[in-house]
Amino acid sequence: MVTKTISPSRGPAKTSGRDRAERKLAFRMTAPSLVIMALVAAVPIGYAIWLSLNQYSVRTAGLSRFVGLENYINALASQEWWAAFGQTFLFAGLSVSLELVLGTAMALLLNLAFKGRAVLRTVVLLPYAIITVVSAITWQTMFQPNMGLVTNVLSTLGLPGGDVVWLGEHGYAMAVIVMADVWKTTPFAALIILAGLQVISAETYEAAELDGASKWQTFVNITLPLLRPAIVLAAIFRTMDALRVFDLPFVLTRGANGTESMSMLAYTQLRENRLVGEGSALSILTFLTVMVVSVIYVRFAGGNIRDVAKEEQ
Amino acid sequence: MDLNRPASPLQNKAAKRTALAATAIAAALLLSACGGGAAPQGAEQAAAADPASGANASGAVNICGVKDASGIYKGTAEAFTMANGKVTAKYTEIGATTDEARTQIVQRLEGKSTECDLFVTDVIWTSEFASQGWLLDQTKLVEANKDRLIPSTVETTKYQDKYWGSPFFTNAGLIYYQKDKVAKPESWQQLYAEAAKAPGNGYVYQGKQYEGLTVNFLEMLYSAGGEVLNDQGDVKIDSKETRDVLNFMSDGLKNGSADRAVLTYNEDPARLAYESGDFGYQRNWPHVYRLLNATPLASSFAVAPLPAWEGGKASGVLGGWNLAISAHSTNQAGAVAFIDFATTPDWQKHVAMDYSQAPVNEAAYSDPAVLQKMPFATELLASVKGAKPRPISPVYPQISQAIYKNVYAVLSGTASTEDAVQKMAEEITAAKASF
Repeated sequence: MVTKTISPSRGPAKTSGRDRAERKLAFRMTAPSLVIMALVAAVPIGYAIWLSLNQYSVRTAGLSRFVGLENYINALASQEWWAAFGQTFLFAGLSVSLELVLGTAMALLLNLAFKGRAVLRTVVLLPYAIITVVSAITWQTMFQPNMGLVTNVLSTLGLPGGDVVWLGEHGYAMAVIVMADVWKTTPFAALIILAGLQVISAETYEAAELDGASKWQTFVNITLPLLRPAIVLAAIFRTMDALRVFDLPFVLTRGANGTESMSMLAYTQLRENRLVGEGSALSILTFLTVMVVSVIYVRFAGGNIRDVAKEEQ
Repeated sequence: MDLNRPASPLQNKAAKRTALAATAIAAALLLSACGGGAAPQGAEQAAAADPASGANASGAVNICGVKDASGIYKGTAEAFTMANGKVTAKYTEIGATTDEARTQIVQRLEGKSTECDLFVTDVIWTSEFASQGWLLDQTKLVEANKDRLIPSTVETTKYQDKYWGSPFFTNAGLIYYQKDKVAKPESWQQLYAEAAKAPGNGYVYQGKQYEGLTVNFLEMLYSAGGEVLNDQGDVKIDSKETRDVLNFMSDGLKNGSADRAVLTYNEDPARLAYESGDFGYQRNWPHVYRLLNATPLASSFAVAPLPAWEGGKASGVLGGWNLAISAHSTNQAGAVAFIDFATTPDWQKHVAMDYSQAPVNEAAYSDPAVLQKMPFATELLASVKGAKPRPISPVYPQISQAIYKNVYAVLSGTASTEDAVQKMAEEITAAKASF
């Protein structure tokens, strides 16, 4: 790269002075965006944290008293929080793993050379372009008992599930929500993985072929390890999204039948019950949960990537 | 660059930091979307609306509320402006759905906005808004207009022995039934027995986990003589009546009186299912009459008021919308004039004829012109007069959640009646204690 070729030609003493000046300039140039970032990100977070340390009176509008960590203690001691916590993780685990498997398969297919590939790559993204609430309503209609498409087809074919009230039963309701999410966001995962796939050079495959590797061996020993960074990236994005899930259960079940997510719980307290302190504490807990999971991902999965990269060299 | 190595954004520390920053930003957006907006504001002594002030009113009045689907709000504002001559009224839509409108109204009231003089409020919001000192006390106005208002509709505006709004139009549940298949329901027990007789006789109602389930449950509980809170505000849900109704409802799902699909139904899916012709009875609101008339069922369905509990009397739950004057209104006299107009017996006829809403004036229901447009007016009046408000409390949303979540648990088979009743009582008591 350009910078690399220039820097060695500079004298070491001079560079530090110049570097400092340059760094100062860089700071000055980025300062406006930093300020905006702080306003957009830090201020609301700070405000939410402050709100979560207070209890707001429902009796008298705006009256608040400082309660420290009481809202957090109450939330962590409540059954609802842990139920929502477990349900959200169950949803995230199921949907993200399905999305990654299907997304990888989809990416491999889209990477093949065939006629109309460009068109198909675009078409495949359509579900992702549909607003979640709209797709949730579509899924709700499809699983409608008595007249829904899915239930009708299943019962006409005599398959199990035709007489099940999908959104009214434990287990089934979660299955519909996972399906809706997988349908919508698999293309997104596929796109990221496809990008990773395209970076793998054809020469590697040629070499493998010359060495007599089978298709499966090539996939397991070459494609998958080299795809890993892309898959991890897709996993991070999808997990963060899945842990904040709100619209699907809100539209499909209103949280009934073991589908209430952490975000829904926060919404109910904040918006419906106007319990600002309790609701803010719940959103902060959701935020921390997402944060911790992402850090774990970056730490462990990220470390693996580095090892893989080293091995290659 | 080495092309054999995939470019990974997570390969080095800087990239890791970038990923963390991205996480933080995404999370921050989530938080800012959820962050509440409690503007500091002290309690206020509620001022009272003067019924006589309407006569000398002038200027402009702004009425704010939910999206005007039937055209009733804009229509009333126009008719008032024409009839009054001195005051001009306009209607401002501030939310597409009931929930959105509530959020918008709350924000305006918390911020002491003077934008709106009048709010169109869902009957269940009154006590919450009144308790915050956000509304003008309308007790004198309501008393002056008492002769023209159906008493049950006035009760929805009452909080702590004062009235905080005037009813504009009301709403009550009705039973739609296929007269060629099933009999007119006289009691809930008879309806359920009839519904279980043949596969095409089933009963559909709103059984999804949401406010509508609270309404469906309370309609039965009230007719069985049960209550949620008594007049003193004590929690009375832990009763034999509550257990009877819960057992009755869950047995109905087991023996096929009601289709299990009701666990996923709110108003529209229930109506659509009923339109398939596969059911005998449906509980829904009056607006369904017009829609059913446009289907092949038009000639075979009939309307009945909500039935009584066996050995008891018929009751129900009132819906509908009230007119509340903002405490920050700059034209309170104009607002009073508007309420006076909107509740006149003459305009209440138009409420039924032009907008198919249930009037709050009793005489309107027997008016020949109204009966022609609304042939089920007699049944509707019976439902409205027998109905009671939902529990009156500033923490009503929490009370309703305690009801519909636990009722749902019993219906879906995840909790026993006994556990659900106890949990309901505990949660309602806790909700009340938070106030």
